[in-house]
Amino acid sequence: MHRKTWVKRPGASATLVQIREDDLVDDVRDMILRKYANSLGRTFDAPDLTLRIVPRDSSRDKERLLGPEEEICRTLDHYFAGGQQVDEALLIDIPQRRTPKPSPRAGPGPQYLYHFDEPSRPVENGTDYFGTAAMAHSPAALATIPHDSRASHTTQNPAPHDRSIAVLNTGTIPPLPSPGGRTRTHYVARPRSTRTHTSSPTTIVNPGFSTRPPRQRRDSTASDSRPGNPATTIPAPPPLPTPPASEAPPTNRQASTPPTPNRVSSPAPKATGARKRRPKPSPLEAAAAPSPLQSMGLLDNSVPPINVLIVEDNIINLKLLEAFMKRLKVRWATAMNGRAAVDKWRGGGFHLVLMDIQLPIMSGLEATKEIRRLERVNGIGVFSLNGPASSGTPGVDGHGHAGGGGAADGAADGESGGHVVGEEDRLEAAKLFKSPVIIVALTASSLQSDRHEALAAGCNDFLTKPVNFVWLERKVKEWGCMQALIDFDGWRKWKHYSEDQATPKAGDKAQKNAATKPAVDGSTNPSNPASAGAGAGAKKKKPETERETGRGRKEEGVAGTRGAGCDGSAEAGERDGSEVRENGEAEAETKTEDHAQR
Amino acid sequence: MARATDHPEDRVSHVDHTGSPIQIELTDGMQSEEGSTGLPEAGDAIDTATFEQILEMDEDEDEREFSKSIVFDFFQQAEATFDKMDAALETRDLEQLSQLGHFLKGSSATLGLTKVKDSCEKIQHFGANKDETGTRDEPDDDVCLKRLRKTIEQAKQEFHDVEKVLRRFYHDE
Repeated sequence: MHRKTWVKRPGASATLVQIREDDLVDDVRDMILRKYANSLGRTFDAPDLTLRIVPRDSSRDKERLLGPEEEICRTLDHYFAGGQQVDEALLIDIPQRRTPKPSPRAGPGPQYLYHFDEPSRPVENGTDYFGTAAMAHSPAALATIPHDSRASHTTQNPAPHDRSIAVLNTGTIPPLPSPGGRTRTHYVARPRSTRTHTSSPTTIVNPGFSTRPPRQRRDSTASDSRPGNPATTIPAPPPLPTPPASEAPPTNRQASTPPTPNRVSSPAPKATGARKRRPKPSPLEAAAAPSPLQSMGLLDNSVPPINVLIVEDNIINLKLLEAFMKRLKVRWATAMNGRAAVDKWRGGGFHLVLMDIQLPIMSGLEATKEIRRLERVNGIGVFSLNGPASSGTPGVDGHGHAGGGGAADGAADGESGGHVVGEEDRLEAAKLFKSPVIIVALTASSLQSDRHEALAAGCNDFLTKPVNFVWLERKVKEWGCMQALIDFDGWRKWKHYSEDQATPKAGDKAQKNAATKPAVDGSTNPSNPASAGAGAGAKKKKPETERETGRGRKEEGVAGTRGAGCDGSAEAGERDGSEVRENGEAEAETKTEDHAQR
Repeated sequence: MARATDHPEDRVSHVDHTGSPIQIELTDGMQSEEGSTGLPEAGDAIDTATFEQILEMDEDEDEREFSKSIVFDFFQQAEATFDKMDAALETRDLEQLSQLGHFLKGSSATLGLTKVKDSCEKIQHFGANKDETGTRDEPDDDVCLKRLRKTIEQAKQEFHDVEKVLRRFYHDE
């Protein structure tokens, strides 16, 4: 009862695959993966494929996709009476890359393998640049022990290119573009390709299919038929007995995956050893054991847990940017004019502002200038990595503001020394401003003069509409990582401070932060259209927002924290979850100024 | 990545089926069905790359709920803006016209509706007493208004052209 059907990749030559009379399209996809074991099989699962049928008689039938539940033979007979010809081959389509996922990450290695991957697959370069791990460790560590840690990581860790692991172990980010040294040698000596090739498809993808004979055969084919591939020159290391997700709860899909592929395939048992002797965890880690992985995992797609303020007066653009932020899984709020933007920003907690330039009421440039002015008079530290300003801020704020001692704050932060901050200019939640916010100007104008004007007004970057999402994602990551680093440092110090004070503030804040994005959006977004006079409105709105979020948190509890999934400091929230819930709603109300501070 | 539905027949691919063999061969093998074939044929009226990245935001490539809502919102916005432009022409409100031009420029640029965007940019410039590139001043209001009238008509025409294409694309004719 076997038949054969022609299939082909678009533009490639057709090939026959064997089908049974009663096979569904779904089965055909399996067979196709066997046939295309190399080009498709290593990257895709059968359900990823779609089959397209081009009818012989286009006036009678339309070209369409085949559903997985269709009976292939009946469909073929229907479309191709008398048998399918070679030029009527079914077209195999592979999943389209989604906008935010395959950001053009620079870097070596077999990038193409990951291009089409969904987030379930480790994002190899998530550890590049600042990467996810960067968020879990303070820049202070980087500044103080870079050389030691680097040395130790070269000696201890046999796989220095496993940057994520190195970071976990040493608590610092290994020097990426290492200029010479042993790191480089290791790197060259063991091509990454071996490891990725063998590990990912074989050990991770397969289990689901292992009961199906065809797939098993495909696997062997896949590994046999790799001549010319550098992978074959080096024997594929057996996967470690440790299941990849052993260290993190399975719910934290992202948590386990980023470092996994390297780890699984690493032939060196030391890798596991090194993992276990994660040296002297920082106080933070010690407190919350699974935290580093967890926090990393929460950063879906390796986009840092930042809060973006979108300032746009055109609802179309606004909708699109919002959808994009949703996709990136970062938090966002919106404002539809410059005045509302400044007011929202004054609420604190934003890392990145996407600022349209021409806005009603107050232009984007004016709003930018105003924000910069307020930052200046409030002594919000300059953008620096050693961050004495940011580390000083928490303590200062702890006793400063209640008494209205704005001037004292300013002096302590050194930026506006002696300058008395006017009552109307004082930022109420100054502890939420770790560093000047990044402002990216958005405009449909391509005039160079506009660009200069924007930069002169205090924007950090400039972006021409239509926004390229790939570019935007990269910017969000870059700027966001930078901000998260600074913020995290401040947060941690502040956390220690508040522990000294024996208050559960930090946990409350973090929890609130992470709690239920919908609640936040639900309350902030509707306020946007009220553009005119949203000034005071936005400010009044804030407590409401927080209260709602607080309620959401109470209901959802810790699970909510995990679910929100975009907050780097959620670990603390979890840790303090019980306290937080005990503190209840009153706490949420009184601590509004704590929101979103990281 | 077609989702499984109960009615496979409903799921008509957006691929243009008139010239399939050649067109498909032109696409890179690693680009999927969406490639360059997913778009309505609108010549230079639509910037494919820009529009496609909106299409990619769609959860479901058959329903296209998200991009459809964006596009149809834009239709409404454009109509409303053109109405306002007409009213502003009546009252010779150049500043308002410039703002309206800028406003519609923003969203048409976002959707990649190149022609509409370019016309809107001209409207913005004319309304600001500039020439069409926005570089030289044109102090004569009457000249500007005359140009505005013409450019607004042109923008409307370009909008309606591209609207037709898009409505066909979303099976809403």
